[in-house]
Amino acid sequence: MSALEIRNIQKRYGDVETLKGIDIALESGEFLVLLGSSGCGKSTLLNIIAGLAEPSGGDILIGERSIVGAHPKDRDIAMVFQSYALYPNMSVARNIGFGLEMRKVPPAEREKAVRETARLLQIENLLDRRPSQLSGGQRQRVAIGRALVRNPRVFLFDEPLSNLDAKLRMEMRTELKRLHQMLKTTVVYVTHDQIEAMTLATRIAVMRDGRIEQLGTPAEIYDRPATLYVAGFVGSPPMNILDAEIGGDQLRIAGSDELLPLPQDFKRTAVPGGRVKIGIRPEALRLANAGASGVRLIADVEVMELTGPELVTTAKVGEQRVTACLPPRTPLIAGSTQVFSFEEAALHLFDPESGRSLRAP
Amino acid sequence: MERQSRLFSVFVHASALLLAAVILAPVVWLFVMSISPAADLSAKPLNWWPSDIDLSRYRTLLSAVENSAGAAFVASLVNSLQVAGMATLAAIVVAVPAAWAVSRTPAVSWSLYAVIATYMLPPVALAVPLYMGLAYFGLLNSVFGLALVYLTILAPFTTWLLKSGFDAIPREIESAAMIDGARLDQILRLLTLPLAAPVMATSALFAFLLAWDEFFYALLFTSDLRAKTLTVAIADLAGGRVSDYGLIATAGVLAALPPVLIGLVMQRALISGLTSGGVKG
Repeated sequence: MSALEIRNIQKRYGDVETLKGIDIALESGEFLVLLGSSGCGKSTLLNIIAGLAEPSGGDILIGERSIVGAHPKDRDIAMVFQSYALYPNMSVARNIGFGLEMRKVPPAEREKAVRETARLLQIENLLDRRPSQLSGGQRQRVAIGRALVRNPRVFLFDEPLSNLDAKLRMEMRTELKRLHQMLKTTVVYVTHDQIEAMTLATRIAVMRDGRIEQLGTPAEIYDRPATLYVAGFVGSPPMNILDAEIGGDQLRIAGSDELLPLPQDFKRTAVPGGRVKIGIRPEALRLANAGASGVRLIADVEVMELTGPELVTTAKVGEQRVTACLPPRTPLIAGSTQVFSFEEAALHLFDPESGRSLRAP
Repeated sequence: MERQSRLFSVFVHASALLLAAVILAPVVWLFVMSISPAADLSAKPLNWWPSDIDLSRYRTLLSAVENSAGAAFVASLVNSLQVAGMATLAAIVVAVPAAWAVSRTPAVSWSLYAVIATYMLPPVALAVPLYMGLAYFGLLNSVFGLALVYLTILAPFTTWLLKSGFDAIPREIESAAMIDGARLDQILRLLTLPLAAPVMATSALFAFLLAWDEFFYALLFTSDLRAKTLTVAIADLAGGRVSDYGLIATAGVLAALPPVLIGLVMQRALISGLTSGGVKG
């Protein structure tokens, strides 16, 4: 039984179509991340699930029951907002217990639930404070506590970490993961941060222009991107995308004499003589030493940037640029010509027109 | 703290003192006039400082002897308090739901602009229709009638102020409360109104001042002690053949006291209300 089922959800504002038919089915205990840049419709979809906006078409089921048109309080959901949306005039304890208070849970029972939630989030010592007396991370915990205490069927998170500084964001990310592993809750989480998506999700829906580009596990999204957009969006630095031509069993990189073998997975779909876009992740490239296995690629090194854990190297193949993430102490000289190598399996091919992957299904 | 040269800080303090002097000078002069003997006020050259302190006018205006100038003044003071109080209370009661609706549903904000547009009409344009209307309902020379007229002035103004106050309260807080299961009345009572309290206090004070200081309609629509307000009473003091400037000044000082007292009481709420647009918690 799916905990949450989204069926062909559409949303129009006048002539503008924000959501163009979204279908997702979510098992109980799944952590779904809606990933996309701003304006892709991910927050609209979340608001529709929450009941803060109504869809123009389609249906949403929570536990086999259609909730379209139902009041937010009757949907058995809880939401954590980007701005936390704590009640500034109430103590932390009342903030957390507010949902129970409104649902007429007796005070004794309510207090017990609030204490338990606070203990889980390690904010027991803050229960008497006002939100204005808390730090960003503490406010975030209170907001999560307010959602947890009601034990709803589905949790909704709207970019909850984007107001925190980088270090705290990482801590809270781990904390969220820990909570999810412990409580096995069903979560829908909106973010534009691909690291958050990769680390937290059991499944990611990459969204663009009101459509789902790809729905899959983080590994699928990273290893087998369905479109050029997904390939470029997930991964840092982004995947190298090069123009190439197919000739027989080989790929020729446009503007150079470099020849690459055509991988097995793409042989059926690739048209001989056709133009394609090839993708190679920067972290798949390494320096070829004598007798190394894999595909070889010769490029002229332009710039090296040492980030600490890795040496981000930009090189030129013909007129096209390639980025490679190499080990930090790789001996390289700018201007030199180097032989790089990578495994054949790391090569992706995309149709340059539609942007779709040419990988045979 | 940034570094400041000595000259600069002298300049800043001098400017502040100058500003204070410009603002306070008329008030101080009003007070000095009210306690100067009549001879001092007509002396040439003018006596800037009273030769001795004369409080007789305060006694005159606050005396409770029937049919005296004092009784008339006190009656007008009570009328003003009643009219301004009722109009302010009604304006806030009307403005809270209206402002909340306009703030949360931008699609209907045109209605507020339409009301504000009528606000631009000069009072004199409305004087005759209002007079006929009040006469029809028998509300001429009545504190209720005048409060009703003031309500039409205050309600758009307070609605406007409260709307910007509600705008500053994030909608997400109300969304969160809605998901938490709060009804609309609970959201307003437990969250929105307490959070808007400073702005409500500010608008109430400004509305009260507006009603307190209004002269034109009060002059037209009231005729005797039953409804005459302070502004009209003060004008009456100046209307005779001989004007006692000291008496007018005394009435001015007394008329200024209630708003000043209210302002002092609400000082803290007022300051946070005036700055609430810029600072978010």
